[in-house]
Amino acid sequence: MEGIVATGLIGISLGAQYALLALGFTLIFGILGVVNFAHGGFYVLGGYLAYSAVTYLGLPYALAVIAAALGTTALGYLFERFVLDHVIDDHLATLMLTLGLYLMMSSGLLVIFGPQSPAFSFPLTGVLRGHGFYVPIENLVVLAVCLVGILSIYALIYYTDFGRALRALADDRSVATAQGLRPKLLFPTAFALATGLAGLTGALVTPILSLAPHVGDPVLATSFLIVILGGLGSIGGATVAAFLVGMVEAFSAVYLGGSKGALALFVLVLIMLVVRPSGLFGHRVRGA
Amino acid sequence: MMLAVQNLEVRYGGITALRGVSIEVAEGETVLLVGANGAGKSSLINAVIGLAGAARGTVRFAGRDISALACDGRARAGMGYSPEGRRVFPTMSVADNVLSGACGRGRAAQREAWDWLCGLFPMLRERAAQPAGQLSGGQQQIVALARAMSSFPKLLLLDEPFLGLAPVWIARISEAIRHMQARGTTILMTEQMARPALKLATRGYVMRGGEIRRSGSVAEIRDVALAEEYL
Repeated sequence: MEGIVATGLIGISLGAQYALLALGFTLIFGILGVVNFAHGGFYVLGGYLAYSAVTYLGLPYALAVIAAALGTTALGYLFERFVLDHVIDDHLATLMLTLGLYLMMSSGLLVIFGPQSPAFSFPLTGVLRGHGFYVPIENLVVLAVCLVGILSIYALIYYTDFGRALRALADDRSVATAQGLRPKLLFPTAFALATGLAGLTGALVTPILSLAPHVGDPVLATSFLIVILGGLGSIGGATVAAFLVGMVEAFSAVYLGGSKGALALFVLVLIMLVVRPSGLFGHRVRGA
Repeated sequence: MMLAVQNLEVRYGGITALRGVSIEVAEGETVLLVGANGAGKSSLINAVIGLAGAARGTVRFAGRDISALACDGRARAGMGYSPEGRRVFPTMSVADNVLSGACGRGRAAQREAWDWLCGLFPMLRERAAQPAGQLSGGQQQIVALARAMSSFPKLLLLDEPFLGLAPVWIARISEAIRHMQARGTTILMTEQMARPALKLATRGYVMRGGEIRRSGSVAEIRDVALAEEYL
């Protein structure tokens, strides 16, 4: 029983991390119509920025996480504003550019830091034990930060003018623009928000999991899978799917073994695509 | 003059949608563009709001040349736009749809717009939280119109507001347009259903083949407009 509760808590913690990542991914897809192949790269970059801030600048870990999130936010803004924005309606071009950025990021990190994982560990260790459960403290901290992040994104998207404008642009860009909403300002800001979330997650999670130039690959694959499972462009769907994937990963890793966990995920997605091709929260719209 | 379009030409690839179109709309007027499908009415509205790029010609709004201004800039300058086919934001709630037209104008202005529009259309408050994509056609048209009105525009552009609607909805939308007229709002509207539209307009232009074929008071264009309705 203790093991089930502990696995469940780790699943929730994993789900929260995935939700933070997938929210950024689905925001970019839903609003800009761009599949951001560099999303995993921003996650890795966030990890390396936090590592560098702690190791070379001597910053406390909490400040390093904030610096990493700000760094990836700034890079995301500049990339969208000065590169992606010029070809935003050309799907092939945006795909190639984001893929190219990812390759540049991972290659650059490989050249600078080498292929080995640096010694970057979470500053808090230990296990919290209670009646019928135990859970690593680092997972609880990550869970708390991720939940705050997720709730903040929800508040931003659903309770502010900024969020309303982004949702309008996602639904019908030309009509939204004709209502006075500014894509030239809002697109780079949305992209920056998403890459900042990826960087924040990377800075939080890589000390627990691992940090290496190539760890963005599985992150991109998982984000993609979650967004498909939740319904393309659906913020609520991505959140629910992220927690579902987190639980499936945690329980299958413990009870089926690590490699079977990945298989369980793909089976889950396959069943979803057969039963409900639009995903968990895919929208059906009445025409007239 | 609130709106002055001169010698406007719009092309979509190799097809010329507007050929040297010139119209004028004075402050407080309601001007109707009538014509059959493909006459160029929507292209003209889209060129005025900036959704369709002009190959030639100028658009002046409230005395200012806005030909080089992007679509969002034209809306913020004081144009409200209700597109053909309603095109509400389907996944957003009714309230968010309406207030998206007043984004960035501050809470007080949004509250004022919302209260005023709910007074005009009680349906908005009743269905405030419902996704607009789930509404009927008439209800969606109300939402699209309210969205365009929420910024209290100087010039309201209405593209086929009665398209596909039952008489009861046409009456409600006509009532809303009269409210905007009473506020002194200038209106440029297109409509294939000439009968209800002629009751609202003060002047009109008859379009065919991307050109203005005739213009004048409602009485002067009535016969041609009604004939175009059946083309």
